[in-house]
Amino acid sequence: MEAPPVTMMPVTGGTINMMEYLLQGSVLDHSLESLIHRLRGLCDNMEPETFLDHEIVFLLKGQQASPFVLRARRSMDRTGAPWHLRYLGQPEMGDKNRHALVRNCVDIATSENLTDFLMEMGFRMDHEFVTKGHLFRKGIMKITVYKIFRILVPGNTDSTEALSLSYLVELSVVAPAGQDMVSDDMRNFAEQLKPLVHLEKIDPKRLM
Amino acid sequence: MQREEKQLEASLDALLSQAADLKNSLGSFIYKLENEYDRLTWPSVLDSFALLSGQLNTLNKVLKHEKTPLFRNQVIIPLVLSPDRDEDLMRQTEGRVPVFSHEVVPDHLRTKPDPEVEEQEKQLTTDAARIGADAAQKQIQNLNKMCSNLLEKISKEERESESGGLRSNKQTFNPADTNALVAAVAFGKGLSNWRPSGSSGPGQPGQPGAGTILAGTSGLQQVQMAGTPSQQQPMLSGVQMAQAGQPGKMPSGIKTNIKSASMHPYQRTLD
Repeated sequence: MEAPPVTMMPVTGGTINMMEYLLQGSVLDHSLESLIHRLRGLCDNMEPETFLDHEIVFLLKGQQASPFVLRARRSMDRTGAPWHLRYLGQPEMGDKNRHALVRNCVDIATSENLTDFLMEMGFRMDHEFVTKGHLFRKGIMKITVYKIFRILVPGNTDSTEALSLSYLVELSVVAPAGQDMVSDDMRNFAEQLKPLVHLEKIDPKRLM
Repeated sequence: MQREEKQLEASLDALLSQAADLKNSLGSFIYKLENEYDRLTWPSVLDSFALLSGQLNTLNKVLKHEKTPLFRNQVIIPLVLSPDRDEDLMRQTEGRVPVFSHEVVPDHLRTKPDPEVEEQEKQLTTDAARIGADAAQKQIQNLNKMCSNLLEKISKEERESESGGLRSNKQTFNPADTNALVAAVAFGKGLSNWRPSGSSGPGQPGQPGAGTILAGTSGLQQVQMAGTPSQQQPMLSGVQMAQAGQPGKMPSGIKTNIKSASMHPYQRTLD
């Protein structure tokens, strides 16, 4: 996946300004073509973009009860692309007036020795997976349709197997905090994908 | 001036004749109800209603006609009130109003509602004025909330029945798959089946435990959720642990379909 727009705003005084608004859904393999077709019609006119990424999730356990999680991503089909380090905060469901899940988010492009750096800092690898799919844009909205692959032999991205017979569909917007208006646009867009895909705000906590 | 008077007279005549028609129809309908109720058929009652409704419409049309002067601009003043019997009046009102006295004039020349109605209206107005702006605002909000809740419920019901109908045609997505995929990207559920329980160091392939297979609504779509709770242990700490204790809100489709099966890795070629 292409690195999302990296925020140029400095992270000052411990406050993180950017929020990711997220809606999720899935589509079965045999309906993927219709979804891609519809997305090409709905989204900005651009060359169809695909991605093949390897994501590693790192944990840092400190004194706090919950570990600190960082996600490192690298592109497997684009050599020379920077690694992508991402922090995601606790997701907030919010009330029904806000139509998307919201979480803090920090995106940074890094060099390829990111893994070593994190390990040196005391992070430990928690899990990893490979994602492969399509990327669409509409204005500031980003739509990804991708398959998740389990890695059978740790560290070896050549031997993988699909997690399920569906593609995960995500509609996300990264915006400064408080811009809940974007969730309205997202809802409208999600409506246009029905009944092919139902994009909803899914609280991951209830899936633990 | 004269032209206006003529117009007023003409429209009054039209009004009178319409009112008379209406009165006749009403009279005959009441007569029918009172005297022929035993052999009255429903269609004939409907006919009478249709006739009345048509005549009321015509009356309304006459009143709204652009050539009809505004009757409210005409003022009627009782010049003489007398307790004596007035034969002319008796004749004109078909025996209903025998005298033009202080007793009947307020009723017949009234331009405002009944005193009782007026009293009720006043009561309502004072009630409304007594409620503070805040309280009123609250009440409005409550009402709006109720309405929107109701609307949401209705539209949800509609949506569900709609999507239910479509699903029977052809399924394009599987909610169980959605949940499995979201859980996988959110906290690696089902991904790290090689991670041994206890130590979570990388590069130590562990024994895959007994997996559970979540069967979707259709028999073909299976989502494998490898990873026993003990393997998920490293993730379930702190806040997340506390959340895990909550009563599950999983869609019933998943909960009821959990089957414990002897593990066979879900081998599929990648596409």
